[in-house]
Amino acid sequence: MTSLLLEGSLLAYLIGTVAGGLALWRSSDGLRHATIAALLVGVVLQGSSILARSTAVGGLVVRNFAEQVSFFTCLLVAVHLLAQLRFRLSVLAAVVGPLAFIGSLIGLVDQGVVANVPESFKRPWLPVHITLAFLGNAAFALSFLVSLAYLWQERQLKSRTISQWIRRLPALESLDRINFTFLAWGFVLLTLSILSAVVWAELSLGRFLSWEPRTTWSAIVWLIYAALLHARVTVGWGGRRAATLTIVGFGVLFISFLGINVLSPGQHAVAYG
Amino acid sequence: MSENSGNRVRPLRPSGATPGPLEVWVVGINHETAPIDLREKLAFSSSDLETLATRVIATTGAAEVVVLSTCNRVEVLATAGVDQELAGPLTEFLALEAGLEVQSLHDHRYVYRGRDAVRHLFRVASSLDSMVVGESQILGQLKEQFRVAVEQGTVATGLRRCFEHSFRAAKRVRTETEIATRAVSVSSAAVDLARRIFDDLSGKTVMLIGAGQMCELAAKHFMSAGVRNLIVTNRSFDRGVELARRFDGTSVPFDRYREYLPMVDIVLGSVAADGAILEREAIVPVLRSRRNRPMFLIDLGVPRNFEPSINELNGCYLYDIDSLAGVAEDHRAERTKEADKAERIIHQEADSFWELFQGNDITPTIVALRGKLEGIRKSELERAKTALRRMDPEDREAMEAMTQAIVNKILHIPLSVLKELAREQDASGASEATDFVHHLFELEMLYEDKSKES
Repeated sequence: MTSLLLEGSLLAYLIGTVAGGLALWRSSDGLRHATIAALLVGVVLQGSSILARSTAVGGLVVRNFAEQVSFFTCLLVAVHLLAQLRFRLSVLAAVVGPLAFIGSLIGLVDQGVVANVPESFKRPWLPVHITLAFLGNAAFALSFLVSLAYLWQERQLKSRTISQWIRRLPALESLDRINFTFLAWGFVLLTLSILSAVVWAELSLGRFLSWEPRTTWSAIVWLIYAALLHARVTVGWGGRRAATLTIVGFGVLFISFLGINVLSPGQHAVAYG
Repeated sequence: MSENSGNRVRPLRPSGATPGPLEVWVVGINHETAPIDLREKLAFSSSDLETLATRVIATTGAAEVVVLSTCNRVEVLATAGVDQELAGPLTEFLALEAGLEVQSLHDHRYVYRGRDAVRHLFRVASSLDSMVVGESQILGQLKEQFRVAVEQGTVATGLRRCFEHSFRAAKRVRTETEIATRAVSVSSAAVDLARRIFDDLSGKTVMLIGAGQMCELAAKHFMSAGVRNLIVTNRSFDRGVELARRFDGTSVPFDRYREYLPMVDIVLGSVAADGAILEREAIVPVLRSRRNRPMFLIDLGVPRNFEPSINELNGCYLYDIDSLAGVAEDHRAERTKEADKAERIIHQEADSFWELFQGNDITPTIVALRGKLEGIRKSELERAKTALRRMDPEDREAMEAMTQAIVNKILHIPLSVLKELAREQDASGASEATDFVHHLFELEMLYEDKSKES
């Protein structure tokens, strides 16, 4: 049943990928709507499968790398679809489509070794912490993609060679604003996820902070984004420098997500097996 | 028909050797032949233009005159008797009007006459002679300035026929080639780029530094793209005020315009100056007080108005006229192919028009007229086919002969009148008559038929 849901979502993401690619090639409202619809179907199916399995094991299924990727993919597509309600971002859909396809493919293929879920992880604060953190990461991932688009377009405008592909992108000002929106949401979610982790640690471990590598890296990421947003609000820091720093921030986030979990032991490593 | 097919200025024809009481002349300068300061000196305002043609006629003795003045060209189209030389008088008139030395204008002007003048007019109308080939504004400007000339009574049959045919040629180029499918003018390129930088132009402020033609044109484009706030500054304050009023904008003194830069998103410059009027150091504090919001600077001046290194500043995008044209022409190869096709169309149109205009060839008209009537005869016979089938073959033959005789009888008198007009060497009479016949019988096919032959 759950694998049928996963396969269904994989198919929907594939359709979304193809439609999104075609929409880039030939701009048409029909193709854009088809892309959004396919991604919506995909995210509903994938979400249902994650929900079904989590209910079955009595805890959020983020027990190995594949499950984490699958969960993250699901949230990424969901956040992206929410953003599509406000901004017209057909190019972003064309990038998120393939990412969703690859992400759910990893989730389907690599079932891997599933560690037993420790009792402390079944307290409601942990799924909340993980969901908030992943939602924040999804927002940062989207701001990263938007920043790449920004830098690409800005470089072409500076060098005065405008390619056809660029014409599919929103204006620089829009990209900058969208980037800021994602950053702000990501920052709020990251902050909340850190707070929820503190509450969880206090309740289940009896201490509110454990300075393990993952925590340190989270603090670094939080500081980078805090500085970026502060500069933006106070002196109107935006454009190319903001886009570059967004990319740096996401790079740090990505390294801490992939590297630290695998390499260093700690509470996070316990959770991820 | 093979004579005078070259592109160069034709040698003077001994008067009376070929019939044709009217010679067509073009004298002018454009973006290729003259630098911008010369073009600016010659650029006439629309109020000047209304009386200009009348004064040209009074001064040079031309029969008809239309003055065309846009940001990229100033030219006088005129007709006169064949033995009258107009190139000299027209050049002198323009030089005097602009306060220039005759010699300096002489070095930059071009002169076309006869078939070449017609071809030039057709090329201008079809935007083949524009700075950015395929832009669509020029035809509108041409029509407008022709309309002004008609109102002023400086146009009679000769130039009217030339212009009307040029509009038709331009339409043919537009429908049969694809040179005009994209927004290709420099101004629309600027608006396109602004849309790449700013998401909503309606809330943006545009500043014009200088009130030249090019600036005005670009401003017009920005206004129609939704910009509502316009600030104009100009060395001559009055001209700036006039332009600001026309666009419902604000005028600020030229020596204080920098104070307004922080509130400006798009800056258009076309001031005639020796060096840059806006340097990098002046922009840095502006950007700071704008809280780093982006700025789009468009330099339409020759030599350039804005220091090129402004483009290196964070959030500043500086384009000069060449880079705008480069952006507008990113499908250059494709468009060149279409432009070749357009040139061929113009060639055919100009040739066939010129034959008609000179009126020394009535054969195409006769052929077309015969073809038209023969077509009607055949289609009517076809419609009566069922009735005819009941007839004897002999009767059918008689019917055929009878209808042919009717056509010939109808054609007899008009054709002999046409031939007589042509024989009398009254070219204007003959050409006006052939024009009228074309109009009367809607003989549009002629041009296409001729083009296939050639």
